[in-house]
Amino acid sequence: MLILLWGLASDPPLAAVREQVRLLGAPAVFADQAAVLETEVDLEVGQTVRASIQIRGESFDLAAVTAAYLRPYISCELPAIASAGPDSAQWQHAALADDLLTTWVGISPAFLISPFAAMAGNNSKPYQLEQIRRQGWSTPETLITTDPEAARHFWDRHGDVIYKSVSGIRSRVSRLGPEHRERFTDIGSCPTQFQEYIPGRDHRVHVVAGEVFACEVCCDADDYRYPGEGNVEIRACTLPREIEDRCRETARAVGLPVTGIDLRRTPEGEWHCFELNPSPGFTFYEGRTGQPIAQSIARLLIQGAWSPRAPET
Amino acid sequence: MLLIVAQRNDLAARSLADRWRPRCTAVLTARDLSVPGWKFDMPAQGPSRLIADGRAFSSNQIAGVLTRLSAVPEAELDHVAAEDRAYVSAEMTAFLLAWLSSLECPVLNRPTPSGLCGPGWRIEQWLHLAAGLGIPVRSVRRSTSRAGANQTEGGVSVTIVGRECLGTVDPALADYSRRLAAAADVDLLEVRYTSSAPGARLQSVSLWPDVSRPDVAAALLHLFDSRVPC
Repeated sequence: MLILLWGLASDPPLAAVREQVRLLGAPAVFADQAAVLETEVDLEVGQTVRASIQIRGESFDLAAVTAAYLRPYISCELPAIASAGPDSAQWQHAALADDLLTTWVGISPAFLISPFAAMAGNNSKPYQLEQIRRQGWSTPETLITTDPEAARHFWDRHGDVIYKSVSGIRSRVSRLGPEHRERFTDIGSCPTQFQEYIPGRDHRVHVVAGEVFACEVCCDADDYRYPGEGNVEIRACTLPREIEDRCRETARAVGLPVTGIDLRRTPEGEWHCFELNPSPGFTFYEGRTGQPIAQSIARLLIQGAWSPRAPET
Repeated sequence: MLLIVAQRNDLAARSLADRWRPRCTAVLTARDLSVPGWKFDMPAQGPSRLIADGRAFSSNQIAGVLTRLSAVPEAELDHVAAEDRAYVSAEMTAFLLAWLSSLECPVLNRPTPSGLCGPGWRIEQWLHLAAGLGIPVRSVRRSTSRAGANQTEGGVSVTIVGRECLGTVDPALADYSRRLAAAADVDLLEVRYTSSAPGARLQSVSLWPDVSRPDVAAALLHLFDSRVPC
């Protein structure tokens, strides 16, 4: 058994999982992106695959990796490399190292948290929303448009509407207000996403294979990640059995062994699903609820097996 | 109408659009995504509205789509402020993934989250898939400590369009190519071998065959016409 951890030591989720892997005594290799300039990657693919990584002079055969926890950033955006510029040897080395490891991940038989192919759906919110809807969730009515008149009509129809990015680029979810009416002509230059506003209480549900860690978020802001002066209270909770099962099935259906699912429960008791976070920053919630999410992920890495197929009935 | 999603300087796409002009063909470029008139709702309240070649259409007018873009490149966005291009590129790509995925007509290739015109795989991933199917492949080696690229020029290519294999190669290579396309779940693929003879090795794969070729254009049209929307 060998577990590969790829990312930055300063990244809280990676640091938490790394620590739990250490506490559980499992052998691990840390591909530290901060040391990317001291990392060599070699990949040969033909009838067979040969792949190795050398980190600060120590070599590992990637064929020995049984499981990997993947939290890579873009190495070229690290300050030392970004400042050297795209034409520099440092930049080209870092970009190639990222590319080779990414390529290896794409063909590796190791158990991955999470496969990049499964994570990629999160790069398009409406694409992912359709995946979510197919799992039986209620999802907010959504309009993506470059037509100001269509946007105004959607707003008038729903009364309360939010807008957010279409892509996976993190953006603040904001509610439309009177000040936006004059800016509607701006949407003609790029498709813009609007959604009916769903009132209710946010819930974040982390699914680690079959384990479910649910918490509710008490906050008055439209986007609790940006509460402003407001207070955010997060506490562990228990979901109705049906909702918990659907969370498990949704994660399984999209091939994510670990995911952070964003739900909202309306005052009428209806559950809506907004997003699946394929590489969740779970430490934010773990730190406030005490839920042992990092330990669960570490155990899953050690177990090294999870079937994305639905269980047979 | 037939729709081609392409970069504005894609000459093969323009050539194909000219060839298909009698079928009412439009080329959708990044510029069209910056024109008022797009409307896509979820769940669908009816057909979506799109802009292509600067003209407005309804999605139920589309009989088939050929996608030649893996993503919307920033270089196509010179009408957007330079500091916004990376963001707008990601937004347009994300939008096209959702919109193309929603179409019920034939779309070649079906978009995937890793690429708008099929799986956005590196050559190693194609070789790995091919090797797993029992197809002889020429190995590729890349390394951070080893300068130089693998030589992949030369050889002979075939183009897969649906079940058709266009190109003169040994029947075994044609069969390999069809199986590779099926395993990758793509309808349009160019596969290059070291030669046309039996025992040749697969050396490269492309999702961008030369669609200006008359035989490829005809096969694409035949495929669109033969497939009823699902």
